Amino acid sequence: MSQGYPIKIYKEPDLRRSSLVLGWSEDMGNLGGKATDYLNRKLKGQEFAEIEPEDFFSLGGVAIKDNLAQFPESKFYACPEHELVVFQSYSPVAEWHKFLNSVLDVAEHHCRVKELYIIGAIISSSAHTTPRELLAVVNSADMREILSQYDLTRDMDYQTTPGERPTLNSFLLWIAKGRNIPGVSLWVPIPFYLAAMEDPQAQKKVLNFLNERLDLKIDFGDVDQEIREQNEQLTRARSLFPEIDDYINRLESNLTLSEEENGELIKKIEEFLRESD
Amino acid sequence: MGVRLYQGLHLENPILVASWPGIGNIGMIAVDTLRGMLGAEEFGEIEPWDFFYPKRAVIRKGVLEYLEFPDNKFYFKVIQGKEFIFFVGEEQPTDGGRVYAEGKKAYHMANLVLDVAEKFKCHRIYTSGAAVALTHHTIKPRVWAVPNSERLIQEIRRYENTVLMSDIEGRGGQGNITGLNGLLLGVAQKRGFEAICLMGEIPVYLQGLPLSYPKASKSVLEVLTRSLEIEVNLDKLDELDEKVERRIEEFYQQIPLAIRGQLDRLKHVTYDKPAGPGPITEEEKKRIMEDVEKFFKKRGGGG
Repeated sequence: MSQGYPIKIYKEPDLRRSSLVLGWSEDMGNLGGKATDYLNRKLKGQEFAEIEPEDFFSLGGVAIKDNLAQFPESKFYACPEHELVVFQSYSPVAEWHKFLNSVLDVAEHHCRVKELYIIGAIISSSAHTTPRELLAVVNSADMREILSQYDLTRDMDYQTTPGERPTLNSFLLWIAKGRNIPGVSLWVPIPFYLAAMEDPQAQKKVLNFLNERLDLKIDFGDVDQEIREQNEQLTRARSLFPEIDDYINRLESNLTLSEEENGELIKKIEEFLRESD
Repeated sequence: MGVRLYQGLHLENPILVASWPGIGNIGMIAVDTLRGMLGAEEFGEIEPWDFFYPKRAVIRKGVLEYLEFPDNKFYFKVIQGKEFIFFVGEEQPTDGGRVYAEGKKAYHMANLVLDVAEKFKCHRIYTSGAAVALTHHTIKPRVWAVPNSERLIQEIRRYENTVLMSDIEGRGGQGNITGLNGLLLGVAQKRGFEAICLMGEIPVYLQGLPLSYPKASKSVLEVLTRSLEIEVNLDKLDELDEKVERRIEEFYQQIPLAIRGQLDRLKHVTYDKPAGPGPITEEEKKRIMEDVEKFFKKRGGGG
């Protein structure tokens, strides 16, 4: 048991000046989980540490999803050839400050991390045919300058609206700032009717940026194939169900749907994609 | 995670008055109003990040400028030779969406507040909260007082418009104070501070509404200021009360007539001691309570 110090290191990674990429499992469009899985698979990430769950997750049992028991894991993977650390975790539900500091403790003390990249998704009311955008929120003006050469939207103004709370990604970015770790929180807007499914276009958008920025030399042929397949499925759904086509046509014309219509579109698309799998 | 004091303050023998939000925000409004009216000066805070999730992010031109956390601040004021420390917590520290603090974090926060009390040799602590009661919103709320030491009971008996738990009909001196406004009282006892919790009555049918209840805050402040032997003008609370009262009336008119008829009878509850058979019997009170509970359950939690 961790007894107050929640980090378990299995093997010291051989990293000298690395970058940390962080993604949350099962976030919107499962973007963080899929993107970090992808990086680990392509770059042969080796698990070297984890954060013990007891302080941060409700452990009153296990959730079941797609017939499988789920357990909240928080794991670090090292890709030494690329000076890259990947952290994939479920979002903690308690002791957030301690959790996020634990992540950065591993990053700083065991991986000599110099930069932080956080992957996140936000809901979009646009159609899936609209090209994905990549928004960036940074924790320092220097980082903003560094990112100016990439295809990012970097001039966002935002204040948390009353009744809502900042995201965990903003919390992490703020803690990193206090530790002088330059960081960026990356946000891809995902069409609302794909939020509970997967969005390979969004994955490609964020992975492509990381590929360029961290010089990972990844070939995205497989993601392109997934994008094509999903687009074909959605085109089929539109041709089979006129109401789906009508809703998406309206979104493509920048018209908004009623709450009821939104719900119906989500339901029909999810059913269709699940049946097609 | 700890206390940060901004300035070297020298106090001899102050009184600490602390409060956190709760039902109707009765205690917090009372304490914060008093703090504001006395012009108490901020001198420290409890570092919030381990207790709270941030409440606001500000991003300008793509740069995260700051994160704001709930305030947990200490203030002081010396007035007419009397020294006061105020602590106002904007939220109760909770895990997993509960409203009231409990467990390790709550105990830790209570101890941090008392560390400051100990540092400045506070001789008395007051906390304040709400007492959910079978009363009507047109009636002046009483104040329920719970001390943490036997020797404070006689003092409380001298307070006007104030009752001990043993004076409250059907309670036999028993009860429970949820959250930090109550916990601080217990932890203070453990650490040897004398403390009193003053709770303003709020009608049972208002407890789930997202409204403050300044009428009860005023009752609390009347008792507190007399106990502290200070004078403050409470007109500001009357103004606030008038505004809230209008919203309460609007809500009250939405309650079905049969239940409202029962609740109207609470206007005639008398508290004169010895408790004789008033216009409402205990049996009738029980029935009102059951009807009210049924109504709010049907409404989906009373909010």
